[in-house]
Amino acid sequence: MLSTSPLERKLQLSGIVLILALLVEGLCLLLGHGPIAFMVFAGLSGALFAVGILLYLYSLVSAKAEPSKQ
Amino acid sequence: MMPTFLILLLVAFSIVLIGVFVFRPQVTATRGGKMTAFLALFALPLLCFGIGASTELEHAKSTEFCLSCHIMESYGKSLRVDDPQHLAGAHFQNHRVPPDEACYTCHTNYAMFGGIKAKLGGLRHIYVYYLGTPPAPENIKLYEPFNNRECLHCHAGARSFEEGAVHTADPDLLPAIKANKTSCISSGCHGVVHDVASLKDAKFWKGGN
Repeated sequence: MLSTSPLERKLQLSGIVLILALLVEGLCLLLGHGPIAFMVFAGLSGALFAVGILLYLYSLVSAKAEPSKQ
Repeated sequence: MMPTFLILLLVAFSIVLIGVFVFRPQVTATRGGKMTAFLALFALPLLCFGIGASTELEHAKSTEFCLSCHIMESYGKSLRVDDPQHLAGAHFQNHRVPPDEACYTCHTNYAMFGGIKAKLGGLRHIYVYYLGTPPAPENIKLYEPFNNRECLHCHAGARSFEEGAVHTADPDLLPAIKANKTSCISSGCHGVVHDVASLKDAKFWKGGN
């Protein structure tokens, strides 16, 4: 399923991580009303959002860097 | 605060949009695709996290949230003690504090970054509750003595406070209260706040549900 192009693969990975983050956020908002939901949202979902967004930004930076290497 | 269903709608929309880039990453080859990718993989996730965090933080102020831990049950009960001498109960039952944010209203810190300090204290509570050894409810103590500033946030300037017979009997009293030199609750004036140790003998107010 993952693309053979490095840039597209990074975008796909970033997308998968962000979808997981959004699913966790959705579940916390839908089902959780106590401190556990708060912690899962702040800890797990927050970390997944950070990883996903940073991976996307890294894919942009590395895509610009790749042609100059060749 | 944004209604939960609208946030869930935004989350679902973001998932669908991101899904397009997961299953068809080649769409980013076009200029429009790149711009949509920025929206889907950067702007929308940030927006969703921001709105979600704001909703969760707002919900963390609710009385329901504070009382969802078993250890806080007796403190919740103390809000319904049918005795006007019980400070927390009298405030809750007479809506001197918003009933749905009763705990937070008195236990936040009305100083700069007070809200953040209160939230960090809350994280410590969660840590102790789930990973430490929580004390018995009657042995729970505040981290630091209750500051009159939290009472004065509402009472300062109020006629019943500024001109009350007991408060004005001694001309030195009001300045001492305002300077936090004489405590409202621990100098023998409003001493009964959450008397959780004697709840089994108490009478409870049944209204307000």
